[in-house]
Amino acid sequence: MKIENTKAQMRKGVLEFCILSVLKDDDAYVAEILGTLKDAKLLVVEGTIYPLLTRLKNAGLLNYRWEESTSGPPRKYYGLTETGKLFLKELATTWSELHNAVTIVTSQKTTKK
Amino acid sequence: MNKTVNINLAGIFFHIDEDAYLKLQRYLEAIKRSFTDSQGRSEIIADIEARIAELFSERVQNDKQVIRIKEVDEVISIMGQPEDYLVDDEIFEDEPKTSYRSSKSSSSSSRKLFRDTDNSYIGGVSSGLGHYFGIDTIWIRLAWILLIFGAGTGILLYILLWVLVPEAKTTAEKLMMTGEPVNISNIEKKIKDGFDTVTETVTDVAKNVSDSVSNAAKSVDVKKTSNSIKSSSRTFFDTLGDVIMFFFKVFAKFIGVILIITGAAALIGLIISLFSLGVADIIHIPGLDMVELVNAGETPIWLVSLLTFFAVGIPFFFIFYLGLKILINNLKSIGNVAKFTLLGLWLVSIIALVIVGVRQASEHAFEESYTEKTELPITVNDTLNIKMVNSDNFNSDRYHRNRFKLAYNENGDKVLYSSDIDIIVKSTTDSVAKMSIRKRADGSNYEKAIERAKNIDYNFEIIGNTLVLNSYLTTSPENKFSDQKVDILLYLPENSIAYFNNSTENSLHYRTYDGNIVSRDDTNHYLKILYDNVECLDCPEEDFDVRVDTPNLKINDNGIEIKSDDTHIKIDENGIKAESDDVEVNINSDGVEIESEE
Repeated sequence: MKIENTKAQMRKGVLEFCILSVLKDDDAYVAEILGTLKDAKLLVVEGTIYPLLTRLKNAGLLNYRWEESTSGPPRKYYGLTETGKLFLKELATTWSELHNAVTIVTSQKTTKK
Repeated sequence: MNKTVNINLAGIFFHIDEDAYLKLQRYLEAIKRSFTDSQGRSEIIADIEARIAELFSERVQNDKQVIRIKEVDEVISIMGQPEDYLVDDEIFEDEPKTSYRSSKSSSSSSRKLFRDTDNSYIGGVSSGLGHYFGIDTIWIRLAWILLIFGAGTGILLYILLWVLVPEAKTTAEKLMMTGEPVNISNIEKKIKDGFDTVTETVTDVAKNVSDSVSNAAKSVDVKKTSNSIKSSSRTFFDTLGDVIMFFFKVFAKFIGVILIITGAAALIGLIISLFSLGVADIIHIPGLDMVELVNAGETPIWLVSLLTFFAVGIPFFFIFYLGLKILINNLKSIGNVAKFTLLGLWLVSIIALVIVGVRQASEHAFEESYTEKTELPITVNDTLNIKMVNSDNFNSDRYHRNRFKLAYNENGDKVLYSSDIDIIVKSTTDSVAKMSIRKRADGSNYEKAIERAKNIDYNFEIIGNTLVLNSYLTTSPENKFSDQKVDILLYLPENSIAYFNNSTENSLHYRTYDGNIVSRDDTNHYLKILYDNVECLDCPEEDFDVRVDTPNLKINDNGIEIKSDDTHIKIDENGIKAESDDVEVNINSDGVEIESEE
């Protein structure tokens, strides 16, 4: 059992949730989403995000529009759909529950010691 | 100095160094292969390309700057290795895990037929077909064996495929053969794997990947168990396969040995006969005249023998080669040029032989005859003796009819000799006997046949009442063997008498038939000519022969013997002997003897 794999799995498990959260208020294009996630150290390499974005878009949680760019190719601006917003709400609830649960469990362990 | 390539990445134009370009292409190919179409591969790739273009744009200050390998490396380190894209899938259980597999099947339609010489027994035809149809090679091989036993069609078909199907030589061809897309990453992979394992199918790769994944996830007990079950069952089938392959190999080697022996023996025989015949023809060994004689088509013997050598020898050569290939796995190929040349030579030889055969046959297309008539000094009530003589020059075995041979006549000239003489006897109401001598020969046209018929020398003599016929005909060797024959038609007046010496036996027919009234059985008898029949004047009365052999009665050469419960009578050359319980009577040269017990 490799620690890296577990770490990666943990991180990637919440990645979808995080992407949706980034887009909660404003539409963004990939580089912006990546910037946020990278700043949060949630992502090491960018490659991971593309299949996820396509997946979310195909699931109807995201949509996108094209926008011209001055410095490069046209950009895809992603935004949440209505289902995406509902989905995000549910995920947020689940996340806070999970967060609580994990905090309780982990803090319990430390007090026992 | 570096060569540059112009690329269009997501609609943006870039100058890029060639090595950097190759690296980028490999990278994109590898990523492409990580996804399936169901995941929206083209869209993902487009997004990635757009991002890479963006990253490049950030690094290029003006239009003239070139992307170097350094920039590509930077971009790759930002974007992550292809594995980073791939592992992504594993956390989403509902997604298909078989990205490699499906990418293979999606491209299976683009497979091409090549010979896989890396996995070959003979020419790699079977394994090539196996790749092409996507089935295990062993089935193809078994099918071949069945076809070989099916009248040998398999051998011919195999040789054809062997000659016609190209060998997969380059890595690209090998990829096409297995149906993998030909791209840099695959080629690179193949080269990395080494050419030994070039034919390792993508399935194996996928298996390896999933194995390593399941190794990584071995913490889960269920997975571990199922994995071990899977691997143990695989081992079993592998072993079974090994055993089957072993027997197959032994069998194949056995066939190989047989093929080698067959091919070699036939080739050696052919070469020896070619040499003896060809050399004999060139240096004019006398015995060969006979062959020349039969050869009415006048095709040179050496040519015919050479053609025959090729027509028969080339298939045997391939059989021999096939055998060698079976025994020696990595036998060097004789090359396509050689194969095509041999095949062409073979076809030409066959065609030429057919032409020679047709020419030869056409020499016998016409059979014509030429008839000479003679009166014989035989009238009604005269007796005609007929006998046949052979010449001392031609000591022919008269029991072998139709025997053609070359001989020398009394002048020392070489002549063609045949004993194909037929005597046909007919009755006539004329008062004088007549004889027709009909000479017959074949030729490719009417004139030639007549000419050859006229060229037949046939002689007879009339000495008093005796007709002396030659038992042979001769002709000049230039006329070739063209089925020369002589028919002697004797028209004998009714009521005349003919005596056929038994020297005529071989020229007479076995039986009489309509128009021929004397058969072989009638020789050495005086025959009275009747209307369409003969009467034998000195034939013995037909033997009356009774033989009885029962327990009570015996009639045979020894005499007559009668037995009953209490009597016994025997009549033989010694006399008559009769016995009963009480009385015995003997009549013999001593007289009559009667004995009574009382």
